Amino acid sequence: MKDTSGSLLSGPFAYLAPTVVIFALAIGGAPTEVAAQAELAAVPDLVGVWNGGGRVRRVNGPNMPWVPGENFPVLNERALAYQEVFDEAIAPKYDCVPSASPALQYDPYFMEVVQWPDRVLLRYEKDDQLRTVWLDGREPPLNEHTIQGFSVGRYEGDALLVETTHFVFDITGFDDYNGIPSSQLKKVTERYWHEGEELRMTLTVEDPMFLREPASYTTRWLPAPEGYKLNPYLCDAVDARRAVKYMIPEYR
Amino acid sequence: MKQIAWISTLTAVVVLGLVVTGFPAEAHHSSAPFYDGDQEQEIVGTVLRFNFRNPHSFLYIQAENPAGQMVEYEVELGAAVSMSRNGWTRESVSAGDPIRAVGNPSRAEGTFGMCCAELTLPDGSPIQLVRLEVDEAPLGLVTLVPTASAEE
Repeated sequence: MKDTSGSLLSGPFAYLAPTVVIFALAIGGAPTEVAAQAELAAVPDLVGVWNGGGRVRRVNGPNMPWVPGENFPVLNERALAYQEVFDEAIAPKYDCVPSASPALQYDPYFMEVVQWPDRVLLRYEKDDQLRTVWLDGREPPLNEHTIQGFSVGRYEGDALLVETTHFVFDITGFDDYNGIPSSQLKKVTERYWHEGEELRMTLTVEDPMFLREPASYTTRWLPAPEGYKLNPYLCDAVDARRAVKYMIPEYR
Repeated sequence: MKQIAWISTLTAVVVLGLVVTGFPAEAHHSSAPFYDGDQEQEIVGTVLRFNFRNPHSFLYIQAENPAGQMVEYEVELGAAVSMSRNGWTRESVSAGDPIRAVGNPSRAEGTFGMCCAELTLPDGSPIQLVRLEVDEAPLGLVTLVPTASAEE
């Protein structure tokens, strides 16, 4: 990747392994701990700005990335009931409420990845969102549920694994198109890896409140043009809702 | 020699006419609830103003409606951050510019919205946008680097 701005590392953890080894030996750490930490030197370099735009992958919509007959989720009765009465006009996105997992990752915009020793930062051009993936083993804070949830991660082989929980209830929390909500039970797992110059990700979402079984999609990003910086999104709430008046209202 | 190189480079990177399609690959919402994808409408009029914003830009055009009355059409376009990667700036169109839009009309009765529009000059010729040296790069990254042919 070309753009390493915002990263403390020229390559992730390039300097970290010997430091960890020395520190572990100094405090009398067990050899297994040292070996485990030394593996940090092999973590994939995901740093940079990545292009997830409409020329890189099919644009999201009612049938993408959740394709009917393929990976579209199996909804339970509760979700079907919600979907039946859902009114597009009340979708929070028309008030600039940001997109969240599992939709945010597939929005056709650019994303920046920064890898620090104790965290990975995922910054999205769409809706100016920033997700922090903690690598230090910390526990989720008590009683803190947010729209992006709480993410922890680890490196495994050549991939970054991320697990996110502690979401708030979201009336369109599954995607932005199909009127499927998500609950505090939503759990999103992501696996990121390199495939040639591409960044790829497989995402799986579970939510027993609304889904009968987990649902998954795989997508990709390409390296952004050299020197590209994410632009501020600065969602305008008036313009976000402007087109709603063009709907034939479902409810009066 | 230097002058030839500069002119050649400028021609390569600065201006290109494009037929512009609105509401392209940067969806924030589906167009279907708001606009009738089975209908196509053509309007020719004058730009009143251009809101170059996120999540969607809007272009306001004074034009005749099907009943022959002059009304203000509201043409929904893509997100400014995405449009900028395709050569748009907030100055790409200005109040008073003549313009033609062909797109899907809004669904609600008595409204004059449009989406998914192809925008051109009234005679069908392209609107001039800034041509990017690197596809999808923001305008700020356009650089005047002499090409090999310009050096010859």
